[in-house]
Amino acid sequence: MRYDDITEAIGNTPLVRIDPAVHGLRGIDLYAKLEMLNPFGSVKDRAAWGMLRPRLDAATAAGEQVVELSSGNTAKALAVLAGMHGLTFKSVTNRMRVPEIRELLVLLGAEIEELPGRSECLDPTDTDDPLTQFHRSLSEDGTSYLHTDQYYNPRNIEAHATGTGPEIVKDLGGRSPDWFIACVGTAGSSTGVARVLREHDPGVGVVGLVAGKSDFIPGIRTIDEVNEVGLFDPDTYDTIEAVSADEAIDGMVVLNRRCGLLAGPTSGAAYHGAVRHLREHDAEPGEHGEHRTAVFIACDRVESYLGYVRQRRPELLGRAPHRNALSSVTEAELAAVRSVDVAGAREWIARERPLVIDLRGPHAFAALHIEGSLNIVDELFEQQVHGGLPFGRGQSVLLVCPVGEKSARFAALLTRMGHPDVRSLDGGVVAWRDAGAPLTRD
Amino acid sequence: MVDAPLYLEPRVEEPLRGLLASPALLHSLVDALGSPLNVVLPDVIADNVAAFRAVYRRHHLGGQVYFAHKANRSSALVRRLAATDAGLDAASLDELGHSLGSGFTPERVLATGPKDPDFLWLAARAGVTVSVDSHAELTDLIRLVRAHALPCVRVLLRLSGFEAEGVRVLSRRTRFGTPVGAVGALLDLAERHRDAVELSGVAYHLDTTGIDEKALALEGCVLVMDEARRRGLDPRAIDIGGGYGARYLADGEQWERYTTELTRAVLGRRPPLTWRGHGYGLRNEGGTVRGQLTLYPAHRSVAGPAYLDELLTTRAPTLDRTLADLLLEHLYDLHVEPGRALVDQCGVSLARVLDVRPLDDGSHLVRLGMNAGDVTLEEHGVLADPVIVPRDDRREGGEEGRAPVGVYLVGNLCLEADLVTRRMVFLPALPVRGDVLAFPNTAGYCMDFHAHRAQMQPRARTVAAGRRAGSWWWSLDERYWPSTYMSGEA
Repeated sequence: MRYDDITEAIGNTPLVRIDPAVHGLRGIDLYAKLEMLNPFGSVKDRAAWGMLRPRLDAATAAGEQVVELSSGNTAKALAVLAGMHGLTFKSVTNRMRVPEIRELLVLLGAEIEELPGRSECLDPTDTDDPLTQFHRSLSEDGTSYLHTDQYYNPRNIEAHATGTGPEIVKDLGGRSPDWFIACVGTAGSSTGVARVLREHDPGVGVVGLVAGKSDFIPGIRTIDEVNEVGLFDPDTYDTIEAVSADEAIDGMVVLNRRCGLLAGPTSGAAYHGAVRHLREHDAEPGEHGEHRTAVFIACDRVESYLGYVRQRRPELLGRAPHRNALSSVTEAELAAVRSVDVAGAREWIARERPLVIDLRGPHAFAALHIEGSLNIVDELFEQQVHGGLPFGRGQSVLLVCPVGEKSARFAALLTRMGHPDVRSLDGGVVAWRDAGAPLTRD
Repeated sequence: MVDAPLYLEPRVEEPLRGLLASPALLHSLVDALGSPLNVVLPDVIADNVAAFRAVYRRHHLGGQVYFAHKANRSSALVRRLAATDAGLDAASLDELGHSLGSGFTPERVLATGPKDPDFLWLAARAGVTVSVDSHAELTDLIRLVRAHALPCVRVLLRLSGFEAEGVRVLSRRTRFGTPVGAVGALLDLAERHRDAVELSGVAYHLDTTGIDEKALALEGCVLVMDEARRRGLDPRAIDIGGGYGARYLADGEQWERYTTELTRAVLGRRPPLTWRGHGYGLRNEGGTVRGQLTLYPAHRSVAGPAYLDELLTTRAPTLDRTLADLLLEHLYDLHVEPGRALVDQCGVSLARVLDVRPLDDGSHLVRLGMNAGDVTLEEHGVLADPVIVPRDDRREGGEEGRAPVGVYLVGNLCLEADLVTRRMVFLPALPVRGDVLAFPNTAGYCMDFHAHRAQMQPRARTVAAGRRAGSWWWSLDERYWPSTYMSGEA
């Protein structure tokens, strides 16, 4: 494989069989279409390139900015493609809830606009939804945009009708699978692939997967939100089923750990929804008793979703507890801490010059602090003490935090670690200020 | 043609639940004082303040919980609050007078909102803190203090238009506050006129449920406070306004099912759920739904004090500490101004059923002794079913007549527009003439926000109620004083 341009690497993704020992279906072979192996990491590479390519020359000549309503993968692909062709890209969204993707987009040079949240007090003068406002801003004078419009652009569907769909048929030896299972986001991949598969075999069962209404699965719309998508046609699907965020993560872990597919939660949702749907049909015999086939789309990679997993299922990222963990401090140890009040601390500082460590954030420290103190932010300090005492035993230490609670915990921990003279400022900086003791800024 | 009832059962907690389970009391109140009638539960507002205070304690934060008075004009609520440690946010001259006359001392009152010279004068004269909306208002205030030789006034500067780094966070355009980019001129004024105004902090209020927008604003305020400190001023508090929300519905699944069916109705995939097919902001464009749902998010997992907790636990966008840590570490107090969230479960609106008549489509019109201005559920986009308080428990026909029905609730004005609900309300049974319908949890904005004297229909009286020694007491709102009615005391 030798390419002149990374865009040539879009498409022709592998179709990989899932081990029956993993999914447990006896009469159905289940395949994953690995769209995550597209060069920019997702199924959206195809649509992005399909929508952008025919308009590139005109856009470059006019110096247009590429804009799209996207919270993730389409934006990622468009940001790269636009950048490669000397154009800038702006993503507008109110759904960008995955911080890693947000940062990656900034890294790729994208401009991101987040739409306002919902109004708390109903405002009758606020008649437009943010999307209508967005469309209006595209037509304002003096602006020059290339709006790829993934939710309405037929080229989104076309990219899959000419690429993804035929690739699946080719890899299955010229046949359609018996089932095709896809998550519904823009409806582009599911509509395009379903069209091709039905041309080969009108009997193919098409399952659309959506998110439970109160759930958030990146890249999938909820049962109501699909109605806002111009490309969405309920007749495309034989059935539409909901998957929960929990089920999506369960499915993702199976793909990651047991199948060697480093796919993300949307792929996990597709896998979970596929197996759940197919299990009901597993007992039915095929026409000639042969194995039947089903294909789902593994649409992107897992790496960007660690924060998503951390928020919902932290136990999946569980690490062995640290040595010297702050959380291991006992009530008895806390009660034994040597705390010192403001007057006592001032006297001690003047007499013995202990090391004063302020555990607050750097911005707060810079604004006001006890003269001569050293700023080590609590989170950093906690990492440091995992490895051992960060100062010699002969050095007396006064720990300072806002109200004296955090510093007491650290003092207890350091005392357990063998430090003979570490004390906590009782009441913290708040008490220091309230006592009228001097605070400086440099 | 009414299929499976799409109930939106209200969340009703004690003691409101107990009140609604006392039909004899409610009917005698409506008989005596007329329909419509508002009932407020003053002790509940004190409990709500305590719940916000618990969040403060968890984060070791100091500062004041100000009740946004505009949420409800009840004297009982304000006087009961005066007996707690809460503050009050007065947004008009009369609200200011009401709060001072109800026992609020000036240091617990904050004057906010659009102000005319009289309001400004009374605020300055009384010595309440003034939340200053603009450069012009600060100039006016300084001039007033000088012209009338008033004592130095504490001010908060209300800011807006906070800018993010990296990602542009858009906010709805607001009429209020000074753009943060122009804060320099405000600080100049405050610095120059230290003998007339004392900068006690800065404020923002954003009408949004978006945590990110608020986090950006709060961090922006910290930066402005630091700038003020650099100039030798001594600001102490950041006022983050209101918008903590209330949960009106008991069951999230009912809310999700209802909004899904509403979308289907807009797309023509099921019979209409609303009077003349009103879409609540949604419209059908070629089979695709456009527009946005202009409804209050009536069921949400996080509301009230829990929302404040979530906000304070959020990390600041660039300074990378939780917002609670950021405030605490900078030694800044936190002020909040909840309206709706402080009167959660505090009030109920009662209306007598005047007439029930069938419609062609199988639904019914239920005419009430109130109008859409008395309980502005539609105005505020709050959808929650009323509770039927039957006139007579031993109704003829027994259980047979008790089948779910869809009804439209209409008011007592001779106007097509006077719909108490524009949606079909599903009830477990058809109400009959003489029943009372109780709309729970209307004390936040819905109860009397728009009540007016059109067509000379009676305006709702308000009574305060509570429990003492196992039975309910009630008093006319204007006759309530904590000294007489506060529970659990003397």
